[in-house]
Amino acid sequence: MTKTADNVNPNVYDKGSEREKLPTDYDEEVEDLFDEREIFDLIRNINDPEHPLTLEELRVVEESNIKVDNKANIVYVTFTPTIPHCSMATLIGLSIRVRLLRALPSRFKVTVEVSEGTHVSEDAVNKQLADKERIAAALENKNLVQIINQCIVTV
Amino acid sequence: MNSVWFKPELANLIINTNDIFEQVPSIVTDIISGRLDIADLVENMAGVLTNKDPENRAKGMSFYTKILKGLPNDYLNDLQVKFISKFYIDRLKDNHRVIPPVIEGYSVLIDMTEYNIDNCRDFLTVLFREVTCQSQLRQDRYTIYLIIKKLCEKDIDYVKNLGPDFVYGVISAMDGERDPRNLVFLFEFLQFFLKSVPLGHLAEEMFDVISCYYPIDFHPSPEDPAAVTREQLANGLCPCLCAVQEFGESCIILLVEKLDSNLRLAKIDSLRLLLECCKSLKAETFVPFVKAIWSSLSRDMGHKTDDELKLLCHEALSAVIAKLETIADTDPAFENFTKLILISCQTSIAEATTVAQFVKSAKILLTTANAAPQACEVIARAMIPATVAFYEFKSSPKLQIASLDFLGDLYVLAKTKGVMDRVQLQVAEVPQVCLAAVSQTSKEFQMAGFRTLIRVQDCLKADLVLPFVEVLIHNIQHSQDNDLLSISVETIHAIARKYPELIMELVVKGKCNIENLEQDKAVLQKRLNLLSNLASIDDFTKVIIEEMLKIISANDPDALQVVEALSGSISIASVFTNEKVTQIESDHGLIDPVMTWLYKEITSTNPESLAHGYTLIANTIGSLPPEKQQNILSKHTPQALEQCMKDDIYFLIIESLYSPLHPTVYTSKFEEIMTVALRVSLSSENEVVRTKACALIAHLLNKAEHGQKFELLYELLKTKLAACSRDDDSLCPRLIILYGWITKALIMRGSDLFLFWLQKIVGVLNTKEYCREGSEAIRLIMTEYPEYLNVKQHCRISLLYKQRMFETFSGLSCKLGNLTPDTKESYLLSWAYVMEKAPKTVLNNQAKKVTPIVIDSLEYDHKDMLNVSLNVISHFVLAKPVVIVDSLQTILPRLVQLSRYMKSMDVRIKSLECLYDIANTFRTSILLPYKQDILLDLAPSLDDKKRLVRSVAVRARSRWYLVGAPGEDKIN
Repeated sequence: MTKTADNVNPNVYDKGSEREKLPTDYDEEVEDLFDEREIFDLIRNINDPEHPLTLEELRVVEESNIKVDNKANIVYVTFTPTIPHCSMATLIGLSIRVRLLRALPSRFKVTVEVSEGTHVSEDAVNKQLADKERIAAALENKNLVQIINQCIVTV
Repeated sequence: MNSVWFKPELANLIINTNDIFEQVPSIVTDIISGRLDIADLVENMAGVLTNKDPENRAKGMSFYTKILKGLPNDYLNDLQVKFISKFYIDRLKDNHRVIPPVIEGYSVLIDMTEYNIDNCRDFLTVLFREVTCQSQLRQDRYTIYLIIKKLCEKDIDYVKNLGPDFVYGVISAMDGERDPRNLVFLFEFLQFFLKSVPLGHLAEEMFDVISCYYPIDFHPSPEDPAAVTREQLANGLCPCLCAVQEFGESCIILLVEKLDSNLRLAKIDSLRLLLECCKSLKAETFVPFVKAIWSSLSRDMGHKTDDELKLLCHEALSAVIAKLETIADTDPAFENFTKLILISCQTSIAEATTVAQFVKSAKILLTTANAAPQACEVIARAMIPATVAFYEFKSSPKLQIASLDFLGDLYVLAKTKGVMDRVQLQVAEVPQVCLAAVSQTSKEFQMAGFRTLIRVQDCLKADLVLPFVEVLIHNIQHSQDNDLLSISVETIHAIARKYPELIMELVVKGKCNIENLEQDKAVLQKRLNLLSNLASIDDFTKVIIEEMLKIISANDPDALQVVEALSGSISIASVFTNEKVTQIESDHGLIDPVMTWLYKEITSTNPESLAHGYTLIANTIGSLPPEKQQNILSKHTPQALEQCMKDDIYFLIIESLYSPLHPTVYTSKFEEIMTVALRVSLSSENEVVRTKACALIAHLLNKAEHGQKFELLYELLKTKLAACSRDDDSLCPRLIILYGWITKALIMRGSDLFLFWLQKIVGVLNTKEYCREGSEAIRLIMTEYPEYLNVKQHCRISLLYKQRMFETFSGLSCKLGNLTPDTKESYLLSWAYVMEKAPKTVLNNQAKKVTPIVIDSLEYDHKDMLNVSLNVISHFVLAKPVVIVDSLQTILPRLVQLSRYMKSMDVRIKSLECLYDIANTFRTSILLPYKQDILLDLAPSLDDKKRLVRSVAVRARSRWYLVGAPGEDKIN
């Protein structure tokens, strides 16, 4: 484990504030729909595999890169690797997927992709992340599951 | 004289049978009574003590040692002790089997009163020469250490004179000790030993022997019932390592090295050691190492998640700085060190792009400044202008707000450290920055600006008052935000204390002039709040209160709002002290006009809107001294009583007069008041009036002085209540509620009489008709009301009354017979009320009894009860998991069921939280059988219609996913 991180000194950004709790949140009668912020809150605290920082602090995930459609049951997330040749991109994408898989109701179709033009092998990564069978196979791998669990353990 | 120990056959008996050891007490009795001389006894034992077989000699020595143990400490005389000591020393040279009883016996011998310390020189010499301590058994090693300790305690000066040989002996005896119990003992002894005995040239050896244990890495076996913990060992070792100045340098080298360790525990231990070093070592010792220490500390202070480590780093830094300050006059190290910290933090603050980075460096600087006044001066002088510049640099709003807070912190530190006069020039800038902040429209900026201004109020210059007041008054009249409103009022209050004339002119007579009454009710109310708050400052009291009273007496339509504002402000004890209220009452007469106003309004206005009037009267009376209270009572009681005969609603006035009295106040009217209160509490048709009446009865009972006065009221109460008809169906519920209030009053004053009433209440819990009222009465006994029975109203509140209630209720409820399904819910509900308020430690003690009740309650469809039960279960999961573990099979399905409880989101949230805690607490092997079911059962909650529930569900489900999965962060 002497491999040094791809991006040794990434830019760090401030954490956003917690979602404000409105009076309607406590109103039993009002139905809260899933929105972009809620999905963002689910993934913002995922740890980066290389640094003791969260994906939010590295601006790998941003609220503006999330789209939710409650009626069509679609969640679409794109993420931005800190550098274009980041070797961890697939792992980060996988962590986001696994996290959403566990945290969202099964009615949603979740798509996780690299933001356009931010990674050298964008297509390859997107293809891997879209392939259900490859994801399932990856989750059979004990070591991989361990790393993913460690990334999402504090969420 | 026939016993065997009078004959030489004793020796054979010791060799051949073990029974003789049972006879020791009889032998000892014979020796003490003088029938047997100890010398004769030894002669009789000759055969075994000089036996050829070492095993037999060992037996002989054990026997002898046992005899010594049995003898009283003062039995042997000087000569006998000396003789026996010689004998034992001689035995040390014997076979290894003989050694243990010899050591044990010598330890007993030292305890003898006549033991002469001179004997020990030979003993120690032979002991260290003949016996290899570390090849003995654990117990025997312990005895050796114990002997050394006893000798040191007996005559430390003599032991000191034994010189290096003795020290060397001790070092080699304990070198390599491995047993944790012995180590705990040794570490404790060494602290004393090292400080008393000079080590001479052996200091280095000693340090090596001790330091090899550092840092302690020890895991007690889980089966050990009385295990020594790692903490115990670490806490023992730490003071030994820096006990004497000779260790200083080696110790610091050691700890600096371990500060860079990868092991968290090693770091923590090193920091603790550093703290300990600062207590015992000289400041000069640290000088060569400060740079190394700083680089390790500054790295760990930036740790992201480990708060304990960070805190310890700060403590250590603070201790080192304080230590260095003691030599600041002679050595430049202190100055250099502070500058080093300052420069490094200044750089990282200047480069900070996130609040976390800024706060990290700011905290380090604050710690440094807090450690020593001189450091504080240096830092404040450099950092205040730097931070002001940083603010103006407009990096990002969050950073600017953080820098405002930092300025406030620096100011407060400079003030507490007494260096204010030396940084005057720098701090003068701060209010200007605050002004810049509050001139922004964003709430966060304004809040931060006001917060800092309140802290630095002393250095606010007069020319800045006007712009601040402009902003503040605008806020007060137009802001909708409660936080901003209250901080604005607080800021004006702070400025008003410093510049009363200016505020008087600008605010009281200017913008918020009371005569210039606004048409807009909301603005008016906010203004009045501000004015009534300012009225607490001496310079304003007269002007404001008189104006307000004028409005009240004129029966203006705005009177209601004035009363509301006044009542709100007066109830804040930090603003209006008792003395202030007393002064207002005696100078301006607050109660009379309000009372007149109330009489006028009482029949026409809605009682709820008059509530502020009653509260105002009650709070004002409560703040007065007893004599004044008495005067007010005699002035107002007759009219109130008279009116009350006509209409129950006037009882509210009586209640506000009589509730807040001091316990010492007593008038002849009390019995009449009690009678009226009883009548009203049972017969009034207005529920508010009934409750107030019950509360007043409770107040009277709670406060009446012990003895005659109390007896009188209590008897009156009992006779009146005995006369009530039990057959009247409408009366019974009211009676039960009244019983509740009586019980509450009595138990709070610590009187045993409460039992009588509580029995009545518990009695109705298994009747179908009244069980609901019964549980309601229990609820009000346990609930604390802000307006009744509290300290402000001078009530007696005995400590632990809730605990007493818990225990009594628990006893009484056992005696309840069989419960029907109709009454069971109320019974469980009463339990829930009692448990909700009982102290958690009491619950822990009764966990076995309480758990089944709580689990039962989860079956019922009652929101409050479910909430309480879930709380109790969550508490047990965290604090006493043992009682829950066997019931998991029952609890888990019920919790899952409740996670879909449609009537209350609180219940859903609590049950999900509880499921999370369970996954976090119990061992994987226990949880694993349930894992798959729970994961499936929790899926629907992810789609709950409330977002708050969903987020807890996600947390719980994600946690259950990790149970037993690779990457789970749990040891088992």
